[in-house]
Amino acid sequence: MDPALLDRLRASVGVAHVLTGVDLSPYVVEGRTPKAAVFPGSLEEVAAVVRHAGAAGAPILPWGGGTGAGVGAPTARTGIVLGLSRLRRLVEHEPGDLTATVEAGMTIEGLQTALRARGQWLSLDPPDAGRATVGGVLATNASGPRRHLYGTARDLLIGVTVVTADGSVVRGGGKVVKNVAGYDLPKLFIGSYGTLGVILDATFKLRPVADEERLVAVAFERVQDAGAAVRAVMASDLIPSALDLLDGPASAALALGGTPTLVVGFDGLAEQIEWQLAELAGLVKPLGGGEVTALPAGTWPRLACAARDAFDAPAAVMVLSVLPTRVADTMARGAAAARARGLPSAWAAHAGVGTMTAALVAEPEPGGVGATLTEWRALAREGGGHATLLWAPLAMKSQVPVWDDPGPAGRLMQRIKAQLDPGNVFNPGRFVAGI
Amino acid sequence: MALSAQVVSALAAIVGETGIVVSPEGRMTYECDMHTFYKGAPDVVVLPTSAEQVEAIVGVCRAHRVPIVPRGSGTGLIGGAMAPAGGVMVSMTRMNAILEIDLASRCATVQPGLINLWLTRAVAGRGWFFAPDPSSQMVSSIGGNVSTNAGGPHCLKYGITTNHVLGLEIVTGRGERLRLGGKAPDPPGYDLVGTAVGAEGTFGLVTAVTVRLLHAPEAVKTVLAAFRSVVEASQTVSAIIAAGMIPAALEMLDAAMIGAINAGTGAGYPADAGAVLLIELDGPRAEVEAQGVRAAALCREHGALSVSVARDEAERALLWKGRKEAAGAVGRLTAAYLLQDAVVPRSKLPDIMREMAAIGERQGLLIANVFHAGDGNLHPIICYDDRDPAQLARAKEANESLLRACIALGGSVTGEHGVGVDKAKNLPLQYGEADLNFMYRLRGVFDPRGLMNPGKLLPSHPACGEGFRPARPVLPEGAWV
Repeated sequence: MDPALLDRLRASVGVAHVLTGVDLSPYVVEGRTPKAAVFPGSLEEVAAVVRHAGAAGAPILPWGGGTGAGVGAPTARTGIVLGLSRLRRLVEHEPGDLTATVEAGMTIEGLQTALRARGQWLSLDPPDAGRATVGGVLATNASGPRRHLYGTARDLLIGVTVVTADGSVVRGGGKVVKNVAGYDLPKLFIGSYGTLGVILDATFKLRPVADEERLVAVAFERVQDAGAAVRAVMASDLIPSALDLLDGPASAALALGGTPTLVVGFDGLAEQIEWQLAELAGLVKPLGGGEVTALPAGTWPRLACAARDAFDAPAAVMVLSVLPTRVADTMARGAAAARARGLPSAWAAHAGVGTMTAALVAEPEPGGVGATLTEWRALAREGGGHATLLWAPLAMKSQVPVWDDPGPAGRLMQRIKAQLDPGNVFNPGRFVAGI
Repeated sequence: MALSAQVVSALAAIVGETGIVVSPEGRMTYECDMHTFYKGAPDVVVLPTSAEQVEAIVGVCRAHRVPIVPRGSGTGLIGGAMAPAGGVMVSMTRMNAILEIDLASRCATVQPGLINLWLTRAVAGRGWFFAPDPSSQMVSSIGGNVSTNAGGPHCLKYGITTNHVLGLEIVTGRGERLRLGGKAPDPPGYDLVGTAVGAEGTFGLVTAVTVRLLHAPEAVKTVLAAFRSVVEASQTVSAIIAAGMIPAALEMLDAAMIGAINAGTGAGYPADAGAVLLIELDGPRAEVEAQGVRAAALCREHGALSVSVARDEAERALLWKGRKEAAGAVGRLTAAYLLQDAVVPRSKLPDIMREMAAIGERQGLLIANVFHAGDGNLHPIICYDDRDPAQLARAKEANESLLRACIALGGSVTGEHGVGVDKAKNLPLQYGEADLNFMYRLRGVFDPRGLMNPGKLLPSHPACGEGFRPARPVLPEGAWV
């Protein structure tokens, strides 16, 4: 660590807010220790840190709650963790506007608690909401089961403030729900994995809290039958808020009986939920579905990580995106591909959307993980989509690329990075196409 | 700027003799969009029939450094589809095919020239629809909707165009034809689709669009409530939102508009009302019925003079017919008008309506209102007499005052029409120098030579792609009538 840079960082944010040495252990990712971790307390301090680090050629690793810190390729060089935990205020919530502005370091759970106290919520339910921060969720484009009805961050974010590579503060979008003035910068930062700037605050569209919310499960013998039920629900007049499909192991992880299970969420007025539940029962029965069983509200936050949590020590976790019609088929063939190599796997899908998470264990067979993941990626492509290696040990990441190939658009992405972060300061090498 | 014979013949070789317009009278047809203040005819118009032709056109223009202006149906309201610096206009009207309808994946892929409503018509029989519904949807093209990120009455519930675009094929200003996004969710890398929607042709030419289709709701209920004043109606809007309802649409008309529409289409709005709220609820029947009762009760609690519910599809269509033809009905109020598209946070509606009345009074001009009240998107219609230059000057002043008032309340200079040449000068009201600089650099990635729709979207067009130099947009002589 360059002592002059360390002095400048301490001068910018205060000695107490710069960690070095053994204090850096919470920020070790894949065995690599950052040079320092700094925690600015204001927009100006973030800008100062970016300028100092940039001038010294030290990479900046923006850090929210750390829940996604291991996602992505290892950065090319060790850098400085820029933690947002001191910037965690709810800046503005005007219920009459159905919008809120919140600082990046606030946790999703903290935000939801504050909004619910006034009858509203942010319709985004990523995993680990107690630790995941607003900034981190935006940077990784995290989502959960309710995306089936309410979409993802791109459907909810209307304004963003970012410190860019030259240390300037850039505001995109605004505070109003309709705004087409200039380029839609909020979209550019969603899912950019901290490679274009440090997100400081975000303004969201909100929704009123529904009168009631229910979650139900329907068990099937075969995952393909559950897939047919998904298609039947999609073709019906039902408007579920979530439509998840779990295979046996993922269902067991949630103590749902261990057979393929369709999990359906509804919200709204009590009478329309009752009507939808009755319709659902009628739809699934001829397709081999069991009784429609109510689940406790506590199951909701566990849905997004059902596959990951199926095993104590997964060897790898992959996220696959396919056309919604191909979900059940991809799950069945993916599980068979793992089984053929003696590897158990667990699968959980936001089936109506077409995304699924699959976890793999390497016990008792240590080999075959790389080959299985490569086959899964091929299955995703066959299903019209792509796959991201969400989590794996470093050695596996060198064998199976983390990111899928963005195709010729990757060149455009590289040019965007080169234009907006010419010094390659933010998370160098972590993202798609070597960005 | 006249194009060389070499360029014209190269273009003619690409699109054929029937796909090119070179005569002065032919080009005159393309000199403006529906914002007729801004006039600039292109040096030549080409009408390609394929993405390959578009790619070849961009290649020729790049080689000769000729500006390119894309155009859909020409229904824009911002001077986006006119050629302030001449050059080649690329009209997409012959690229209007539906390439694929994939209902199992809930999407369709279309060429950019396809008329918005034609897509819904193609799938309505099977119970589906394309949600973005600008009032121009009978004539506006999906490519134009994408380029301006168009909204519409129903975007309160369903979102604007960008929320319904899954994939794009574009030919960038660098001449590369690229597919961005696609049918499968969460494509790897930056959200280039989200970034390119609303770029108003400054990144390149859209040659195909993959859009989301939605399942038509089981039931629709349209409620019409008349109020003594716009302020009372605005307070009702806030009450409906605060009560936890998100109607599919929540539209407001003021007294001047009510009169003009009634005189034209016979929509049957109450003649003595100071404001009319059009509330549309859709969804499962049980929900729609319950919310209809709630919404009607809230209208009465806030002093509604009358509340009526459309009894059938014909009545519903009639209520909407008036709203959708509002801009045309203005012709009965005035010979000339400025149509504004500013936004305020919805809780500030009563404030801006009071402010607007004051501005109108100060300038001695009638300002009529028809707007998307549910999301705070205003469409003030500033009426003036175009035979009187002093009135035009006052109308422009009122226009600027309105924009400043909206920004002061935390709003935006454009909610759904876009920037074009019309609002480019206003962007610095809303964004700082760093924000605009960032946008310039982004533009440079797609179009380093500055050939794509120059003079649009940003306050000036820096020749070298660097730096922000505030300036008036480049307009031809006599652009202001």
